[in-house]
Amino acid sequence: MENSAHNSTIWAIGGGKGGTGKSFLTSCMGTHLAMQGVRTTLIDADLGGANLHSFFGLNAPRHTLADFFEKKKPLQEITVHSGIANLQMIAAPGASMESESINHAQKLKLFRHIRSLESDNILIDLGAGTHVNTTDTFLLADRMIIVTSPEITSLENMYQFIKSVYFRKLKAIFKTHGLTSLIQDIWKNRSTYGIRNLKELIGHIRQSSPQMRDIFDQEMGGFVLYIVLNQVKTPRDIQIGENLKSICMNVLGLPAIYAGYSRYDEGVKDSINKREPFMLFNRLSPVVGEIRTLTDNIIAGTGVTVQRELRNGGL
Amino acid sequence: MEGCEKYFDILELPYDASVEDLNRNYNYLKALYSGDAIEITALNSDFSNEISRDYLARLDEAYTKVREGMENRKTTSAQRKVEMGEEVRQWLRQIDRFDGPLLKELRCRMGVELEDIHAVTRIQPEYLACIENEGFSAFRAEAYLRSYLIEYARFLGLDSNRVLADYLPRYRAWSEKDRKPDVVEVGYVLTKSV
Repeated sequence: MENSAHNSTIWAIGGGKGGTGKSFLTSCMGTHLAMQGVRTTLIDADLGGANLHSFFGLNAPRHTLADFFEKKKPLQEITVHSGIANLQMIAAPGASMESESINHAQKLKLFRHIRSLESDNILIDLGAGTHVNTTDTFLLADRMIIVTSPEITSLENMYQFIKSVYFRKLKAIFKTHGLTSLIQDIWKNRSTYGIRNLKELIGHIRQSSPQMRDIFDQEMGGFVLYIVLNQVKTPRDIQIGENLKSICMNVLGLPAIYAGYSRYDEGVKDSINKREPFMLFNRLSPVVGEIRTLTDNIIAGTGVTVQRELRNGGL
Repeated sequence: MEGCEKYFDILELPYDASVEDLNRNYNYLKALYSGDAIEITALNSDFSNEISRDYLARLDEAYTKVREGMENRKTTSAQRKVEMGEEVRQWLRQIDRFDGPLLKELRCRMGVELEDIHAVTRIQPEYLACIENEGFSAFRAEAYLRSYLIEYARFLGLDSNRVLADYLPRYRAWSEKDRKPDVVEVGYVLTKSV
């Protein structure tokens, strides 16, 4: 990746499942950043499911990423103003474009151009699924944020997403050391090595030789996922984020920070349907405070800690 | 506790964790990973029954090791209480009555810190100091002082009955004389605030 000319920080918001509130949270985090005087650009990368503009009451913009890919328009020319000071956005094309249709060269070009955008923060809202274009965009970010909700299907998709991202990252690491096929070979023959999950794959690689361990530790140092739990309804739901920290490390072998949560609120739906920017029109809602907290946590690299206590003998 | 780091890591504990931290985290992790919370169920084959069994076995092993380590640490410091040198013994023989200052002098002669007593008895050092300087107002009732005194005396290897017999009358004398204004004051404050 080329050096960033503007020292911008790229945030990617992913999570595998649709409907967990990724776009809503992206719009709110972006608004919070912009309101603090930080130049912020939102990029809707949900190709085929674009609707980030709706959260600002904008109609589908005339220019979208399709113009960048097909007509070679620079990103600056397809950037639209959100209506909030310091906050710009780049829209995704509608149903005409699928993320599968973007080739590798186009992807690299997009990454390069995103890096050179004149903005302090760039928030990329990813679509659902685990396509390589989605995972690669996620890995491009300086802050990798996973949004999930306290439902088993969201959690399942989130795990699949994390695994795909991690697998992609491992392949990229070993590719740069001329060991492209290593990870795939080990994984294909995992039963002979007694490897049952990603955590054990990592353990196997790190133990295979001191050189491998050094490569791995050097490349993975500082790799951390920020988990945001959306639509929580009970204290037990809030606890899930704390548990995910432990589970990510123990089962997936990846460090995670519980950046925060945002509660379920009927007012959110009303606000979205009214096409009002939520953060501006609902200042009394606890959700606003919760989103500010989790955004500030992500900036600072900190998280919330939930007391690890059992209630009535159970979780 | 050298070599124990990996067990602390499994238990997700800092290396200076207390027994309470250990028990809390162990119970918590055990409940989480053996339960059927959605965040565990959603892992499917990544956390199969077999992997789960392995994890829980490692957790139990880590708990036993760390627990043992903590108990050894306790007994190592606890063993120090019996080390009363001949010199101290000689000095102790000519003592006829145990009071606060004397207990303090004995402790210092034995080279024992308040922290050492705290490490074994879990009595806060402030209370131990109050025993020694006879700051009786720190004790809400005789029963508290009594049980602290027993622990304190045992730690130094003293006959706790003898210490109680000498020391408690001093507390009672203070309590009869000085306690009353205290009670009146509390009553006054209460009336005022009500």
